[in-house]
Amino acid sequence: MDMDEDLPASEPCPTFTNLASFTGPSASPSSYAGPEVEVRALASMATALYPLARAEGLRGLAAVLEKGNAGNGVAEYCYGCAAELLRDEDEDIRLVAVRLAGICVEKIAMREELSGDADQIDLIFLQLSSMARDMCAKVRIEAFNALAKMQRVSDGVLLQSLSKKMIKTDTGSATGKKISPKLVFPCAAGIFAHGIEDEFYQVRAAACKALGELAKFSNQYAQKALDLLMDMMNDDTEAVRLQTLRTLLDMATYGHLSVQEKHMHMFLGILMDANVIVRNAARKILGLVKLPKLQMFKSALDGLIAGLEKDPEDQEIYGVLFSIGKNHGSFSANIAKHLAKEISMASDGELILDKPRIKALLIVSILAPCSVDKEKELDIPAVIFSHAIPLLGTISCALGEDTQDSLLSHLFHRCGLPFWGKRLVSSDGKDSECFSVETADGTHAQIGKTAMSTNCLDEVVIMQSARLILETVQGAWAMRKSCIIGEVQSTLRTCKEEVNILAVNSSGSAYGFLSFVSDYIDAVQLIVEMWRFVQSENSYAFGSTSQDILLEKFDTSVRRMKCCYVGLHRELEVQVLELALLAILFRLSELAICSELVLDKLHWITNHLDGLCADGSYELSDFSQEVKKSFDANCIDCNPAVNICSFLEIFDLKPATNFGMVNARSAVLKVCDTDTDTENPLSCVRGLPVGVSFDVSLQNIACHDRIWLRMIAGESIQHVFLDLSCFGGDDKVKSCSTVIPFYATPMACSFVLRACLVIECPFGSICDHQEGHGGPRDCVVQLCDELDVYFVSADMSKGGG
Amino acid sequence: MFDCGMHMGHHDSQRYPDFARILAAAPGAADFTSAISCLVITHFHLDHIGALPYFTEVCGYSGPVYMTYPTKALAPLMLEDYRKVMVDHRGEEEQYSYEDIQRCMKKVIPVDLKQTIQVDRDLVIRAYYAGHVLGAAMIYAKVGDATMVYTGDYNMTPDRHLGAAQIDRLKLDLLITESTYAKTVRDSKHAREREFLKAVHKCVAGGGKVLIPAFALGRAQELCILLDDYWERMNLKIPIYFSAGLTIQANMYYKMLIGWTSQKIKDSYTVHNPFDFKHVCHFERSFINDPGPCVLFATPGMISGGFSLEVFKRWAPSEKNLVTLPGYCVAGTIGHKLMSGKPTKIDLDKDTHVDVRCQIHQLSFSPHTDSKGIMDLTEFLSPNHVILVHGEKPQMAFLKDRIESELGMSCYYPANNETVSIPTAHNLKINATDKFISSCTTPQARDGLQAPNLICGDHLYGVNGELAEGILLMEKSRAPKILCEDELLQLLGTERHSVQFEPLLSSRIEEAQSAIVDDVASE
Repeated sequence: MDMDEDLPASEPCPTFTNLASFTGPSASPSSYAGPEVEVRALASMATALYPLARAEGLRGLAAVLEKGNAGNGVAEYCYGCAAELLRDEDEDIRLVAVRLAGICVEKIAMREELSGDADQIDLIFLQLSSMARDMCAKVRIEAFNALAKMQRVSDGVLLQSLSKKMIKTDTGSATGKKISPKLVFPCAAGIFAHGIEDEFYQVRAAACKALGELAKFSNQYAQKALDLLMDMMNDDTEAVRLQTLRTLLDMATYGHLSVQEKHMHMFLGILMDANVIVRNAARKILGLVKLPKLQMFKSALDGLIAGLEKDPEDQEIYGVLFSIGKNHGSFSANIAKHLAKEISMASDGELILDKPRIKALLIVSILAPCSVDKEKELDIPAVIFSHAIPLLGTISCALGEDTQDSLLSHLFHRCGLPFWGKRLVSSDGKDSECFSVETADGTHAQIGKTAMSTNCLDEVVIMQSARLILETVQGAWAMRKSCIIGEVQSTLRTCKEEVNILAVNSSGSAYGFLSFVSDYIDAVQLIVEMWRFVQSENSYAFGSTSQDILLEKFDTSVRRMKCCYVGLHRELEVQVLELALLAILFRLSELAICSELVLDKLHWITNHLDGLCADGSYELSDFSQEVKKSFDANCIDCNPAVNICSFLEIFDLKPATNFGMVNARSAVLKVCDTDTDTENPLSCVRGLPVGVSFDVSLQNIACHDRIWLRMIAGESIQHVFLDLSCFGGDDKVKSCSTVIPFYATPMACSFVLRACLVIECPFGSICDHQEGHGGPRDCVVQLCDELDVYFVSADMSKGGG
Repeated sequence: MFDCGMHMGHHDSQRYPDFARILAAAPGAADFTSAISCLVITHFHLDHIGALPYFTEVCGYSGPVYMTYPTKALAPLMLEDYRKVMVDHRGEEEQYSYEDIQRCMKKVIPVDLKQTIQVDRDLVIRAYYAGHVLGAAMIYAKVGDATMVYTGDYNMTPDRHLGAAQIDRLKLDLLITESTYAKTVRDSKHAREREFLKAVHKCVAGGGKVLIPAFALGRAQELCILLDDYWERMNLKIPIYFSAGLTIQANMYYKMLIGWTSQKIKDSYTVHNPFDFKHVCHFERSFINDPGPCVLFATPGMISGGFSLEVFKRWAPSEKNLVTLPGYCVAGTIGHKLMSGKPTKIDLDKDTHVDVRCQIHQLSFSPHTDSKGIMDLTEFLSPNHVILVHGEKPQMAFLKDRIESELGMSCYYPANNETVSIPTAHNLKINATDKFISSCTTPQARDGLQAPNLICGDHLYGVNGELAEGILLMEKSRAPKILCEDELLQLLGTERHSVQFEPLLSSRIEEAQSAIVDDVASE
């Protein structure tokens, strides 16, 4: 009998403890004598008589290895030490030994990527495996943890670890290599079968984790391991169930999960689990696996749909359905065929697209053609795709990626509708087609539910259409020389109409963008008009007045573009500035005088353009360069000879590629409380100031913007500056109701006050108005339509009463 | 003496062990008490405890009897139940009375797990957790230097309510292990549980009655935990009954003895006592004939008589009903008859026949370890010798071969009345001379490591793993001693003689011969 038993284990010789602490990670650098000596000393201590000393020695070795000094076979040497003590009587020592072995295994696996004796690895695996049957739970946990780090274990050994029954190795066959006799470890058999039914849930979880790690290396093993894992889904400890799911998810991610029919009931069971984490994990796994049979595919779908019916807001299910459909091309094609039949059978009222089942099946079907099995062309009825379009928002929300465009184009392409066609997308018509199914039902709730998806869809359609419209505008501008101007004008008019139609149904940033486009087309139309004047030989025939009006209009629309939109992309901003430049050139050429002010503005714009293009992302167009050159040169002598024609020749509209998130600045002005109209005028006293209470709400107005309330009554104009700090709300919407006095009431029985909110449109520090009226310093742009407020003199109304 | 059981198949005096052999084995002893130092009972099954009252009260053994606390608590229930069956139902002659059982139990000394008990000067015993049934223990015994473990019945895989066997790694001369399933390797219990639940559910869904003959303790509780869980999950409303008050009483003990159950139960105990079955209803005898589905646990387990037989007679003729049989039935019982083939008619005695049309489901839940578990335990303990008991001969022969070939241990499976002698190792205390110790330690001194480090296991290692050399001197009157070569010479007072050998190659034989011839010639 060993002498250990008779010696008190608790009193190791002090030498060892000292040595152990010395060799621990805290060893001082001065006493450091190189890993070999250290390892030797520790290894000899690991064979010591006292259990605590042995344990301490092993711990020391582990610390040395952890420090990363594993070279020249140190790991193997340490493993040797650990292996010696795997059978120790003391369970603490076995625990430390297994832990050390685990570290060694990790190091060995890390180092020798391809070389290394296969038998050696198998031997290590088996030795560790037999530790997984230890009587001490902690040792078992540690053993499974160590096994999880193993790599390149031969298949036969791996498979044996799953089955308690000895797998016969037939020496006859070419593949079946006979396991060498030293590798016979009867206890290593079926350790995982034991591990998953262990008494301690920590062991079960560790075994489960190890199963997953090892499954990465062998398909055959993964298949068998799945049978074990399936039973673990019924475990009564939640931690184990979650670990199982994690393992399954890992396996699915690595593509080692081949689900068979017998596993389906388990999956379907956990799809309906009460725990939301479990449910989600189960779904994710289903989204990744490949199901071999149509029946299984259908039952998986049914499971998911049942989940969807329970909780329709669960977005994640859509994503899973999507990927399931993508993974099983031919099955989803089958589903699609049945669905198409169902759709065609159902009359308009019956088929409700919002039903979770239909939704789910549509989502599954749409990606079938893009699926992995491409051998055969899958025939999906076009009706599926057209029905799927309204679900676009849902799908792309579920996918959480910016795939909307490509998805939409896929759908359009598949249902045979021209999406990128030459003709402008008549989105109006399409919208009605897409939504007819939904609106046919006519319930408001339904509309509300799909509002989000339609919004998404709207935005995409609008952006696409706007892009096309802008391209058309640019094409039209390019045609101005070759074609008849009238044709260009009519094209532009059509574009404008299109934009207006689009704008009717839109809101938010889409609306902002469309109104910008509308202003832009206005400006182009005006340029074309002026171009016609300039070109025509007898420009005088029209008189200067009409040209004046055009120029004024042009100025206004440029100003609007400049001031009334926020979030313009820099590309658009450059274009707007070029238009502004053009406006100034027109003015210079028309007036043929060179006002200091106008020149200042021109320089301000060119400088600004320079600034925008300074970082090299955009090049200054030929036009701006030409303008800059000519005015830099003759600024000093102030030669006003501007040949507008030559500038117009080179002026070009470039197709913008980026728009940015355009938001319109706008304002709403209302008179508080009452509806005033001609029938119900407000009363005032002739010649005395009258206070009008206005409700003002401003959209997308920043704090530094200068907003004025302009009130005009007859001849008299009064500007009131609105202090934005008094406004409530955020950057997007500010609102305030305030009483504003109007001083110059005319001496009349009744009058109309035309009130309007305007925004200053600054050209740097250049001021137009130096008169000091107290009004805006610069030109202004209207933010809203003029509001008519009707007044009637108090005595008159009395008299009338 | 380990265990004191009885054979369930016999109904005469053969059922008890042949106690006379105890006296025969100890020629000097006058009675049983002096012949054996103590009696250790591993667990409360009748084949391990059945003869105990007979032995103590009738045969007159009065030495110490050891068993674990739960065994002590539950054994009287078992014994009394059996006595009743024996006397009341079969009308046999009473072998021992209820009072005998009470008196017998008073003599029992309870032990706890891992508690070391010095029985007498030489004998030390210690109990380890064995799984199997509540309170089952494996017994470690040490007499002088000879050590052994008697496993009793044990289970290496945990079940619904009990943990797996747990033991320290001990240096053993002998391991006596049960081998009920010496050849069987069972697959995962999950699948078996599923099968069982499916069968039961199918039966009750079809309006049938399920008879689960079970021993009052152990299997009944495990199956009930399983069913109770399932009923909860599936929201079933069909009643579950326990036939005897015995089981109810046993459940009470289980509730009290939570510390001896598995980790799982211990964990969940803080929230809910798993032995408070929600779906178990109060049972009355008249319920047997009631229509409608139900599940009934009835004793005894092998339908060898008693209530389970009564119920079986009533229920067996209907196809809708289900009888689940335990994994193991002793030959001669109805359970055994049902298991072997599918009989349509069973003869109870000369006049009574039962038509068997019900479904039979054989439970493969067993509290016994399988062959893999036996191998695992044997490998873990690594004893020098193994003896297989509690099994069937051909299977034991198979297992013996495996143990001998795969683990390299000598293995025996003695039949009844057969004697096996096991050689044991005997430890010697050896004195070492100072010189020897210093001769071992000199190379070590360089590294500053001290002498005790050198001695490890059976070998004496030098610093580089080379063996230290010494001479063991054993004299009759003195303690054995280990010493150096020089010292021996000194001690014997002789000089060193050296004999040299020279290897002789065949090619040189002739040469040598001729040389010898020459030498001879020259002389």
